[in-house]
Amino acid sequence: MNSLRKYWAIAWISGKSNLAYVGEVGSRLFFLTVILYIFMRLWQEVFAHAHVTRFGGYGVTDMIWYLAATETILMSEVRVSSQIDEDVRTGAVAVQLVRPLSYPLYRLASNLGERAVRIVVTGFAAVLIATWLSGSADHLANGLLFFALALPGAFVLHFLGYLLVGLSAFWVEDTAGLTLIYSRLVMVLGGMLLPLELFPSVVQPLVKALPFGNIVCGPARLFIHPDPAALGLLLVNQLLWIGVFSLAASAVYSRALHRIALNGG
Amino acid sequence: MLNKLLNYLALAGAYFRLNLKAQFEYRFAFISQAVAMFVNDCIWLVYFILFFDKFPVLNGWHAADVATLWAVTAAGFGIAHAFFGNALWLPGIIVRGELDTWLLYPRALLPHLVLGRISPSAFGDAIFGYIVYIAIVHPDLPHFLLFTLMTFTIALLFVGFSVATGSLGFYLGNAESLAEHWRGSLIAFSTYPMGMFKGNVRLLLYTVVPAGFVSGFPIDALQKMSLLHAAYSLGGALLAVALAVVVFYHGLSRYESGNMVAMRG
Repeated sequence: MNSLRKYWAIAWISGKSNLAYVGEVGSRLFFLTVILYIFMRLWQEVFAHAHVTRFGGYGVTDMIWYLAATETILMSEVRVSSQIDEDVRTGAVAVQLVRPLSYPLYRLASNLGERAVRIVVTGFAAVLIATWLSGSADHLANGLLFFALALPGAFVLHFLGYLLVGLSAFWVEDTAGLTLIYSRLVMVLGGMLLPLELFPSVVQPLVKALPFGNIVCGPARLFIHPDPAALGLLLVNQLLWIGVFSLAASAVYSRALHRIALNGG
Repeated sequence: MLNKLLNYLALAGAYFRLNLKAQFEYRFAFISQAVAMFVNDCIWLVYFILFFDKFPVLNGWHAADVATLWAVTAAGFGIAHAFFGNALWLPGIIVRGELDTWLLYPRALLPHLVLGRISPSAFGDAIFGYIVYIAIVHPDLPHFLLFTLMTFTIALLFVGFSVATGSLGFYLGNAESLAEHWRGSLIAFSTYPMGMFKGNVRLLLYTVVPAGFVSGFPIDALQKMSLLHAAYSLGGALLAVALAVVVFYHGLSRYESGNMVAMRG
C-alpha cells in the first residue's frame, strides 16, 4: 500500500508540473485543429467521390469523430524512450537506481500522470473542434465513457512499447531512430487514419493480430460504437499484450542492469 | 558581390564538412536516424498510395502523383535541414540565451547560426525524396532537372519558415512548441493534394502556412513542365527567406544575453 502511494505521488507531481506549460498546450491544440481539418476535408472528398454515405459502418461525421479520438490518444503520448535514452546517456539512471523505487515503475507512474493531464486537455479541445467541424457525435456521453474505460490499458501498453525501445539505449548509441519507427507503427498499424476494418482484406488478419490496434483503433472505435461486448474483448486483449510486453521488458531490464558500470567520484 | 557570395558558399561547404565529421564520431546514431527517417517516409508513402488507390479523392491523381508529392516535400525538407539544421533548434537557442557564442563571430550572424548544425534524420528525407522520384516516377532528364530545382526552392522555403517561426522566441520567450507545431502543420498540409482545400483555407496555404509553395506550385510545375509555376515557387521561397531575415534581425535587437559561458570547437 505504501509502495503504491509512492508511485501515486510521482504520477501526481508529474501531472501537476505538466499543467505549467500552458503555451505548449495552446500550440498543440492549434496543430490538432489543423490535422482534424485536413482529415475532415480528406474524408469529405472520399465520400463525395465514392457517392456513398457510409464505409464499413462509418459515416463522414463518424470518421471525423474517430479521427478526433485517435488524435487525442496519439497527441497525448509521452515518448518515455527519449527520457530513458537521456537517463542512460547522461548517467542519470545511476541516480535513479539508488532510490527506493523500481525504475520502470517510476517511469510508468510519471508517464501516466503526465498523460492524464494531456489527454484531458487534448480530449476536451478535440470534442470542441470536432463539434465545430462536423456537428455533435451520436452517443457522445456513452462514447466518452467507453473510451475512458479503454484508455488505461491502452496507455500502459503504449508505455511498455516505448519502455522496450528506451531500454535498447543500454546497447545502442541512440534510440531516436527506433522511437520514430515504433511511433509510426503505432500510428499506421494502430489505425490512426483508418479503422482497421477498412484496411484491405488481405492485411486485416495481420493488423488485427498485432498489439497496436489495442492502443489506437480499439478505444477510438468504442467511442463511435459503444458496445459492452467489444469493450470486454478489448480489455482482455490489452491485458494479454500487457502481460507479453511486461515479461519482455522485465527480461530486457534485468539484462540491461548487468551492463551498468559505476565508477566512484 | 560575387566574391562575397562565393565566400559564403565556401563557408557553407566548410561547415557542412565539419558537421558531417562531428556526426560521424557517433556513426551508429547518425546512420540509424537517417535510416529510420527513410523507413518512416516509406511507411507513409506506401500507406497513402494504398489509401488514394482505395479512396480516390481527386480525378486524375495516380500513385506517381502521390509519390511526386511526397518526394518533393521530403527532399526539400531534407536538403534544408541537412545543411541548415540549426534552423530547427533556433527557438531553443534563443530562449536558453545561447546566441552569445554566435554573436562573437566576425561574419553575418544568421548564416553562421543556421549552418552550425545538421540534422541526421534530414539526410533520410533527402535520400528518400530522390530515390522515390527516380524509382516510381521514372522521370526524363528535363523532369529530373526541374524536380531538383524544385527541391532546392522548397529547401529555401523551409529554411526561411523555420527561421521566421523560430525567431518568435525573441518576442514570446519560449516558442519551441509553437515553432514545432507550426512547422508540423506546414508539413501536414504539404503532403496532401492542394486541390482538396478550398476557399479561405487556400489563402492561408499561400501565406500563414505556405504549403502552396511546397506542394502546390512545385507539383503543378512538374505535372505541366511549367517554368511559370516554378518561378512562382521560387518567388515564394525568396519571400519566405526575406521575411525570415527581417523577423530574425528585428527580434535580435530584443535579445538579452544569458551570460552563459560556452565554447565551440
